[in-house]
Amino acid sequence: MASVLHGWRAARVTPLGELHTPPRMTAVLLRLTVQVVLVASLWRGLYAHTGTTAGLTREQAVTYAVLAVLASRLRELDQYAGRDTVIQHMHFGTIVYWYLRPLPPQRYYALRALGEQLYGLAWALFGYAICLAAGVVEPPRSAAVAGVFALSMLLGQWVLYYVMLLLDQLCFFTIRNNSAMLILIFAQNLMSGVYAPLWFFPDWFITLSGFLPFQATLSVPLSIYVGRIELSDAGAQLAVQAAWVLVLALFTRRVWRRAARRVISQGG
Amino acid sequence: MSGSIEVRGLSRTFHTTVRRPGFGGALRSLVNPEKVAKHAVCDVTFSVAPGELLALLGPNGAGKSTTIKMLTGILTPSAGEARVAGVVPYEERERNARNIGTVFGQRTQLWWDLPVRESFAILRDIYEVPKAEHAARLQEFDDLLDLSSFWDTRVRHLSLGQRVRSDLAAALLHDPPVVFLDEPTIGMDVVVKEQVREFLRHQVEERGRTVLLTTHDMTEVERLAERVVLINHGRLVLDGTLDEIRRRFGSTWQVRVTLADPHTEVGGLPGVALLRREGPQAVFGPDGPDAPTVHQALKQVIERYEVTDLALDEADLEDVMRAAYVHAGPAAEGA
Repeated sequence: MASVLHGWRAARVTPLGELHTPPRMTAVLLRLTVQVVLVASLWRGLYAHTGTTAGLTREQAVTYAVLAVLASRLRELDQYAGRDTVIQHMHFGTIVYWYLRPLPPQRYYALRALGEQLYGLAWALFGYAICLAAGVVEPPRSAAVAGVFALSMLLGQWVLYYVMLLLDQLCFFTIRNNSAMLILIFAQNLMSGVYAPLWFFPDWFITLSGFLPFQATLSVPLSIYVGRIELSDAGAQLAVQAAWVLVLALFTRRVWRRAARRVISQGG
Repeated sequence: MSGSIEVRGLSRTFHTTVRRPGFGGALRSLVNPEKVAKHAVCDVTFSVAPGELLALLGPNGAGKSTTIKMLTGILTPSAGEARVAGVVPYEERERNARNIGTVFGQRTQLWWDLPVRESFAILRDIYEVPKAEHAARLQEFDDLLDLSSFWDTRVRHLSLGQRVRSDLAAALLHDPPVVFLDEPTIGMDVVVKEQVREFLRHQVEERGRTVLLTTHDMTEVERLAERVVLINHGRLVLDGTLDEIRRRFGSTWQVRVTLADPHTEVGGLPGVALLRREGPQAVFGPDGPDAPTVHQALKQVIERYEVTDLALDEADLEDVMRAAYVHAGPAAEGA
């Protein structure tokens, strides 16, 4: 038990940092509110003259879009201001401390990310509760849908964690990852369905997206929630998500080993 | 646990790409990169006894930091071996981490957005320090470093001196027998520097910690170090006491005396030369490689002659080190 809990306080870094910086919390609240209102208005406007588009009703589309906004909050914290991104640790040479503690860097990174995602989840649940009460989003159709959605969301966040980790690991080899980060944010938002549900895109795009992990992060769980993916088909989608988790876990593990050999030349 | 450091024939070679000048050169480097080997540390051997403070000195780029990185386990040597508190650091990095504390000057290990005390709590958890032990040690460090006046402040709002004091405490909270300090007082004011020195003296003398210190501050070396290891261009050029370094490189001292009897015959002191004589005044300086230190020479002069007045000019340690760096350069090595 002791080894399981070893270093658990690292998970508190992000929530504590945010709580000690009230202006950042206010900014998050404002941004979320504006985004939810605008996204809900946009999709209602798009459906003003039609009942169903791309197989999606207005309620489904609005629910999907608003949940996508809330879920994107899960790992979009202002680590940069806290000087706690891998790129900053590389820049300031403080990455060496990750290798000078009796806690493997990969475990420390995972604990930090867990804390971030739990903190982000609190925001997302808060927003969800308000949107649900205000009738902006629809509740899940059944308890079974809610349960499968929760499982799929967990797997999706796990995939997202590894994708973000890969980008951070890139810093060990290229020092900077800004361009890759911009590309990823765009690809992630586009292919996971944050900008628009994937069914609005052409077939070739949906096929291409199927070969990349982004769809597994958000599009799959949200599609389960709104009923676009039926529970009878959810098993296959969950298996694909689990496969992405496994592949990315093995790959990032190898990269951690190689990164350890690079830490000196890049980290000062 | 024994806090000794043993280093035998330690070497580290880096392979880097030569960047050719100009646009064409940059293009050639891209298409056909030329790799060169840079020997950052070559065959360095020394040891530090438990409870000893050793200053690892050398000019910029001498290989000090590379040596420390190998001893802390974040870099694997190309050849040779090292043991820190009985552990081979680069083979058992996590076990070694429990035995060492490290401060790299100007690079904080504290969490920027959190109050200092929260950083300490995270480190307590990472190093699995019992709560009561942590509290007692924090109290001890507070007494020495006056941490409580700012430990509820977020790290981003600390002054440099406050941050370095916090970093020192953070490095020692898990009670490591060995401490590596890489220019810990760089950029700090004299008052905080003295507070840090006092803290380090306490850790060595009272707590028996072994300290390996790199610094360019010679006052710090004089006040803290019992022994000095000098490396230059990756090679060890001297391992000894400050007196030995002075004797070898600090040949600029002069002792000026006024003799009670102006007709006294002077000379014949071992290792001491008479440089000038004007009536009752005589000026002595070092003679040859076995010349005594200025203090030993002074003692000889006073014991031999009746003196009414004396003055001494001694090259300070900075001058001595400058001479040492120059003499221990590549030309000297090749000579």
